[in-house]
Amino acid sequence: MRRSRAWTFAVLLVSGWLATAVAEPSPATTRAMPARIVSLAPSVTETLFALGAGARVVAVSDFCDYPPEATRLPRVGSFNAPNVEAVLAQRPDVAIGLPSPGNHENVLTMRRLGVRVEIVDPERLADLPAATRKIAAVAGVPDAGERLVATMAREMDAVRAKVAGAPKPRALMLVGQDPLIAVGPESFLGEMLVEAGAVNVAPAGEAWPRLNVEVAIAADPEVIVDCSMGTEAGTATLEYWTRFASIRAVKDRRVYPFRSFEALRPGPRLARGLEELARLLHPERFR
Amino acid sequence: MTTLPHLTRGRLARVNGVLLLLLAASIAVAVTLGPVALDWRRVFGSEAGVGPDAVILFRARVPRVLLAAIVGGALAVSGAALQALLRNPLAEPHLVGISSGAALAAVIALVTMPVVLGQALVAPVAAFLGALVSIWIVVRLAFVGERVEPTTLLLIGVIYNAFTGALLMFINSVVDLYQAQGVLFWLMGHVGTREYSTLAALGLYSLAGLALLLWHARDLDCLSLGDERAAELGVDVERARRMIFVAAALLVGAVVSVSGLIGFVGLVVPHLVRLLFGADHRLLLPASYLAGAIFLVWADTVARTVLGVTEIPVGVVTAIVGAPVFTYLLRRERRVES
Repeated sequence: MRRSRAWTFAVLLVSGWLATAVAEPSPATTRAMPARIVSLAPSVTETLFALGAGARVVAVSDFCDYPPEATRLPRVGSFNAPNVEAVLAQRPDVAIGLPSPGNHENVLTMRRLGVRVEIVDPERLADLPAATRKIAAVAGVPDAGERLVATMAREMDAVRAKVAGAPKPRALMLVGQDPLIAVGPESFLGEMLVEAGAVNVAPAGEAWPRLNVEVAIAADPEVIVDCSMGTEAGTATLEYWTRFASIRAVKDRRVYPFRSFEALRPGPRLARGLEELARLLHPERFR
Repeated sequence: MTTLPHLTRGRLARVNGVLLLLLAASIAVAVTLGPVALDWRRVFGSEAGVGPDAVILFRARVPRVLLAAIVGGALAVSGAALQALLRNPLAEPHLVGISSGAALAAVIALVTMPVVLGQALVAPVAAFLGALVSIWIVVRLAFVGERVEPTTLLLIGVIYNAFTGALLMFINSVVDLYQAQGVLFWLMGHVGTREYSTLAALGLYSLAGLALLLWHARDLDCLSLGDERAAELGVDVERARRMIFVAAALLVGAVVSVSGLIGFVGLVVPHLVRLLFGADHRLLLPASYLAGAIFLVWADTVARTVLGVTEIPVGVVTAIVGAPVFTYLLRRERRVES
């Protein structure tokens, strides 16, 4: 008896889970052009403005810092933890965000409360056109979406062409200094490093490997790109590395603080960020 | 307390000498272990001093192992002092909240001060002040008249940790992403690679704390018998306590400012040393320092080698070892009480 009840419970639980999993894709895209859009992530905000839908964006996430018009809009929490009440208060026709473990609960809650929430997932570079098209479709401007995808592809190709054929320096890209957190090959930034014409020396297998500095010394990168530093602390980056004098990048003074980090998000400024990165890796190609 | 051989000058020298040798041996072995296998011919051969193998050994690995030794020693000896001061074997800088108080002060200083003021100086000073204030608060709350109830102390530690932790998370929510990563660093506990000049300063700092405590070793012996008893034995209780506060805050502040929150070292090590060599602080303090150094050298060696090229925070290792020891001590403590 007890066992069968446990079984019933388990079945209910699983079917409940299945039901939510199935129900999770939001209701069919409304064909009408949404008049009030809430953006839950910086890259989504940038894309919406680049699509010409900026005037219909009524609120953005705390981290949305571009374009300048977006910074004047009301904030609805971080992309990792959108504030359900703040989003509801905007009476949005649609909210658009990225997937994250932190926002999952809140997204489900918003949907339960009748908010249309669309999730786009440009986790890797290859997903970017589809993600851009989806944002455009949700915003009701699919044609602008096609144009933006084409523009971005063209700009990216222009940077690729600049560095094409150049010898690829072995590079280490960091997002944290103490402890060292590197950009692994299996991440969006890792792909960008390769696109910019470098060989990533960070160990494979993890998106953000936490590295012992010994590994960095042994890998002997020719270029070190440090994204972890705020603008004024660039010198601290150099200071940290100078003592490891055997590293090629240190000998050649090719340890760079990277200041266009924000541009490397999966949005319309990506090609600009990529160019900044390529400039550090292949200065001779940008003279 | 179990009876142990009377503390003679010879015994003091013998125990400390053996521990010092063990520490030297631990350091010597630990620097041969790491995620990158070294070619020893190249370390000392033609590429000596300039090749990658030599740089890894002398500029990355040796400083880190030495830092682990200093941090471990300081944490262990401050734990020993707090245990005497609070008359409680469960007192430990992290568990009673002193480390988090130091970290909180350091983080507040770092996010409010402009970078130009020199973070290298700001963090240790703020951490010292944070540790001092925290010790004062915890001790004020823990003493009920003459006595410190063990459970009361632990509850105060839990509450104080929750409070400082909440403030740290609050700061983490209001600062930008770059700074937030820095805040997390304080919470995780990590032995990094530092310059030798930093190590020298930190080593001197922690030895000064140890010396200050050793100077009050007899007072600590008396204080662990109770304030009244200590006063009868001729100890200026208030004055001695103040000095011990300052010394413990020096040690904890110095350590937290370079390595964040590393728990359980100050608990496991003094307890083990007391078990092996007795509770006389003239021996307990230096022996705890040396044993703590040995303990953290090995804990950090595990942290930096166990997953290959990826590291785990050393606080994870000390907690995995320390939590069972803490549980054992807590149970024993309660058996003694009943």
